[in-house]
Amino acid sequence: MTGRLRLRPAIWAPALAIGLVVVAILSLGVGAVWLSPSEVARALLTPHGPDTIATAVTIVWDLRLARVLLAALVGAGLAGAGAAFQGMFRTPLADPFVIGASGGAALGATLAILGKVSFGVATVPTAAFVGAMLAVMTVYGITLASGANSATALLLAGAALSTILSAVVSLLMLMNDRAIQEIFAWLLGGFSGRSWPQLTMSGPPILAGLAMLWLLARPLDALTSGEETARSLGLPLNVARGAIVAAASLVTAAAVAASGLIGFIGLAAPHIARLFCGSSHARLIPASALVGALLLLIADSAARTLIAPTELPVGVLTALLGGPFFLWMLGWGGSR
Amino acid sequence: MTLWRGGDPAPPGGGGAGGEGALTAMNLRYNLGGRAILDHVQLQVQPGEVLALIGPNGAGKTTLLRALARLLRPLGGTVSLDGRDVWRMRPRPVARHMALAPQGAELWPLTVEQFVGLGRAPHRGWLMPLGSDDHAAVQAALERTGMTILRERPVTELSGGEQRRAILARALAQGPRVLLLDEPTAALDLKYQVAILGLARRLAHNDGLSVVITLHDLNQAAGVADRMALLSNGRVLAVGTPDEVLTAELIGATYGVPVSVCRHPLDGTPLITPLRGEG
Repeated sequence: MTGRLRLRPAIWAPALAIGLVVVAILSLGVGAVWLSPSEVARALLTPHGPDTIATAVTIVWDLRLARVLLAALVGAGLAGAGAAFQGMFRTPLADPFVIGASGGAALGATLAILGKVSFGVATVPTAAFVGAMLAVMTVYGITLASGANSATALLLAGAALSTILSAVVSLLMLMNDRAIQEIFAWLLGGFSGRSWPQLTMSGPPILAGLAMLWLLARPLDALTSGEETARSLGLPLNVARGAIVAAASLVTAAAVAASGLIGFIGLAAPHIARLFCGSSHARLIPASALVGALLLLIADSAARTLIAPTELPVGVLTALLGGPFFLWMLGWGGSR
Repeated sequence: MTLWRGGDPAPPGGGGAGGEGALTAMNLRYNLGGRAILDHVQLQVQPGEVLALIGPNGAGKTTLLRALARLLRPLGGTVSLDGRDVWRMRPRPVARHMALAPQGAELWPLTVEQFVGLGRAPHRGWLMPLGSDDHAAVQAALERTGMTILRERPVTELSGGEQRRAILARALAQGPRVLLLDEPTAALDLKYQVAILGLARRLAHNDGLSVVITLHDLNQAAGVADRMALLSNGRVLAVGTPDEVLTAELIGATYGVPVSVCRHPLDGTPLITPLRGEG
């Protein structure tokens, strides 16, 4: 990527934050009942004020705010995890699901929907979270045990386990055709019907994991120079890699638990962020998170409105709208 | 000039105040596929001297350098830094005392400044932001390698020679007592070959570093080294001054090419010339 678009953090950080607030306010206004930005702002800031419409307060606070915050957090989490994995594996193709989180989450959610496992109240999200973490831990464990202790081995094991798990999911769907629609809808991902419970469950682990990844920025920078160089700089390779995998997987699993499998954001947002902030992870992790939050918020707003009252699965939309944009950006950015 | 000692007297977190930077390899052994890559290698480098590792391709130069750098665990023998076994030390203290400028570079589009800043991690810690003394060390390393003007550029957009200098700058930013250079002149044009080798000598002679340098060019090695070690099939065939090691007999036999030894017109160091029309 060329350096001609590179901006200072003092410019892009406030610009993205303001953009995020603006898009969030617009997003809070769209839906079955449309609210103007000023109505939204009043409902948010002075819910008991004399000029505030009571229904607007109900719509904003009870129906839309949690969903908007959740979409932003999930977008931020997927993008931050994607940026970390792209750096750690030194490949621009990596995304948050590259070492098996998606396959594990899909199998967990499928088993929960079919009633094979149960975790009390929040069965499907919890099963997805547990499935994602188990899959990643299995991949990591296999790699450690095999002695082929490298990022490449981790990638290959992740690809193999993902294939196996998605084959199992396909088989389960075929054998249980009554539940096929529900499983498929979950796999496509989206925020339909998500509200405060999902936000309070997934928000804290996403934020904690992102903070950990930001803290791990310099080890990530060192790993991009190759494992041998990182070791010669005194980086304890296994500790660093384990911490990065743990943090990124916590974020990914929590995001997937809340929203199902939303592709593309985790791949594309870091590339977009790199265009203006460069490749050092101290800047790339927060910039990717902000870009990811913005993208997913826009995508979810569009998903709610394009064919209202029906909702589009947001994962389909991110790929349909984001894919062409990403291709255009790659050509224009002069990337490898 | 004296940044590596005077300007930055106690690197943050740097222990080993008595560390002078003597590096000793005792009886190093390493095998790969049943073949001995390192065969009972004994070597020592003292502060203030440049030791060149020479030998034919596959002689074990780079393997030896990696073993010295604590990147490759030998099957037998020890590497010790001021008498301490490096494998009994944690990686970070080792990296505060010893830096490697590797030959092959895997690059990611960090800016030169960010890339060189990685050399400060052993001092500052992996989770802490760099401080002003770290930035000073980075600027000094950039200056010494002539990279200051390129500091905002992504390392992926540099020429091969500029990338080699960025890697060397990162090693210098570590503020090491022992500097290991793997073929530092490869891919450099004549001007920077001379500059880098001159810098290696100044780092040893003026700043008191122990410098170990692998070179395939025997004449470059003769020009830079105080002592040299000739390796072949994982064994040290000879150690000594360039005059002692670079003899027509020894080099001819080791490389399998008849050579003649003449003298450098200015400093009288040996110059190796392959003899044409034979073999």
